[in-house]
Amino acid sequence: MDFILNTIRKIDNDQVKEHSFGNEQSLEENLAISFINPKDFDKLNLVSSLHLKISNNQRNIIVKIEKDENVPEGTIMIPVSIWSNQLTEILNDELVYKNIVVSVEATREPILKFKEIIQKIRGIE
Amino acid sequence: MKRYPCSGCSLLCDDIIVKSDGLFIEEVIGACLKGKERFDQVNAQNRITSPMIRKNNELVNASWEEALAKTVEIIKNSSAPLLYGFSNVTCEAQRAGMDLAKEINGFIDSNASICQGKILNKARSQGINLTTITEIINKVDLIILWGANPAETIPRLLNKILFSRGKFRMTGREIKTLVIIDPVKTASFRVMGVRDLALIIQPDKDIELIQMLKEECCSADSIPSGGVAGIDKSDLKRLLLHLTGAENGVIILGQGVIQPHANYDLIEELLDLLQLINTRQAKGRISLLLLGGHFNMAGFDHVALSSYGVSGKLQFENKKLVKSEDTIVSKINKENFDCSIIVGTDPISHLPHSLSSKLSKKPLILIDNHNSATSRIADVVLPTAITGIESSGLAYRIDQVPVELKKILNPPNNIPSDEELLNQLIEKLNGGAK
Amino acid sequence: MELYKYLPKTNCKECGMPTCMAFSLALLQGKAKVDDCPPLLKPKYKKQYEKLKELLGSEEGQEKELRINVDEDLCDGCGICVTICPVNARYCPPSLSGKAPEYPPEKHQLFQVIDGKCELLNLEYCRRLESEGRERECHVCETYCPREAIKIEYV
Repeated sequence: MDFILNTIRKIDNDQVKEHSFGNEQSLEENLAISFINPKDFDKLNLVSSLHLKISNNQRNIIVKIEKDENVPEGTIMIPVSIWSNQLTEILNDELVYKNIVVSVEATREPILKFKEIIQKIRGIE
Repeated sequence: MKRYPCSGCSLLCDDIIVKSDGLFIEEVIGACLKGKERFDQVNAQNRITSPMIRKNNELVNASWEEALAKTVEIIKNSSAPLLYGFSNVTCEAQRAGMDLAKEINGFIDSNASICQGKILNKARSQGINLTTITEIINKVDLIILWGANPAETIPRLLNKILFSRGKFRMTGREIKTLVIIDPVKTASFRVMGVRDLALIIQPDKDIELIQMLKEECCSADSIPSGGVAGIDKSDLKRLLLHLTGAENGVIILGQGVIQPHANYDLIEELLDLLQLINTRQAKGRISLLLLGGHFNMAGFDHVALSSYGVSGKLQFENKKLVKSEDTIVSKINKENFDCSIIVGTDPISHLPHSLSSKLSKKPLILIDNHNSATSRIADVVLPTAITGIESSGLAYRIDQVPVELKKILNPPNNIPSDEELLNQLIEKLNGGAK
Repeated sequence: MELYKYLPKTNCKECGMPTCMAFSLALLQGKAKVDDCPPLLKPKYKKQYEKLKELLGSEEGQEKELRINVDEDLCDGCGICVTICPVNARYCPPSLSGKAPEYPPEKHQLFQVIDGKCELLNLEYCRRLESEGRERECHVCETYCPREAIKIEYV
């Protein structure tokens, strides 16, 4: 299904705080999550034990999912992090962090780990 | 009791009480959670207190001589270095960074150019006022938050400007009107009262709202009855009445409106609208305030302007300033560089994948004091003292007011401050050339 | 409040309180019993009488104390509660002009932000402990907290 992706900031989900005071596990727990409207949660036939695979035309990420009724329908919110920046784009030499068109599906695969993203960025698979 | 400024975010509150015995910080009174986390970085678990070099694909501790020698070696083997960051450091360190860029014929730019810096230049050239926090407290009766969420990013901002009583606004909260325009119902919506206006706009439809306001800003009669961009007619009428009837207003812009679009420039349309309202208004003016991230995001432009006469990025060739059409994004995208020096920021985490992958392929020198994604791929890591606690200097607030940061403790292991480290690098490069 | 819904709302003053709203507050605080309202004992209010007894349960008539809880996990230290508390505002403190509160805090300052979190200092000066008048329903700190971290309850 097609959705619109928005990256937001939340004071509890802050990657600088996790890098300074936490470890890789707390980083993944607090930042590899996404927020979705409860009606969309039901439309996608999701259960809280499943994960969400979000992909644009080049890359994809797998994150946890949480319900939040303040999110408008048809939109997903992700905290600003190295996960969300796998999907952000460039347009005319400027960076696009909001309103990105993505496709979304439920999956049983595990969450994308921090080490795997670093390896993807360095080009080592 | 003595009060210290806080370097947690770009609001730079200068009224924090810090209880310390000279060795540790015991209690911090008055600072919000972000400020407290900044003061906690002194003893953070993952703080880096010794230089590190990459050997056999692993980062190992090294001495200062070794790390500085390796840094000088990387710089000397490159002809087009890139310097980026400079928003988490003092103005003196920004000046030292520019001197270093001049010495090595590099390209230097700060985080502000991919964030709020874009709006500032356009606003200045159109004659729109930027206002200060004290002016807002004393005079403003209309506050509009457009695409901004200060309750999560700058917690004390709403406390200072909305709930306070000013000299000309002695009844405080009752006379100030708050309007929030945002597609999501964020935490900032909870401070609204009965007279305030909450507009939940459809995602990415801000341009329709701006165009409608431009056409109708004189009369509220011809608003389309079905509303615009998901907002209904009665709310639009109230918004127009507030905009044209306020005695003194401020619009606070956040990340939500500085996104680029293919066919139009949202910032220019918004600034046009502000200018139109200001000329047609019977009473006062509407001015602008831009939120920021790190504590000295606004300082780089001031230092560049006063040292080199150019506001923004600088490109040096043959130790002289030259004109350049490149931006930091185009430089990284076209791979127009052969090594990078990153100061006080984490580009691998906050740039899109296509840029961070290109950045990681060339040698990278990181000058920072805590663990981050960039420190996992850097070739050399040089730690520095935490500004605002272990070293002092000048910084500029979100409303372009300078604040002097003070030193409270000594840094561990005699780590140098950013300014001292950059000047040491310049000396070593000069000494080697002779 | 939920208890007020089930009262006659006539403000007849037969219970000794000036309004039905004041009576519902006294019920919540345990300072009055449901039987103290003579109109409620009449047959036409039987349903409301039984509902009120059920809502109050066994705690009816037990004196309850005011408690203001600040949830430490939710608070982010913004300081809006310090600025907006009417008890503090009466003395025109510096926090009303956008500056930081005085230190050491005066006795009329109910909240203080220490180490990034809000702490309650002097509950005995809270407006809800006044003997009469509408100030007893004051809940500005609970309403304007952006993180919904403050809860007023009777225990």
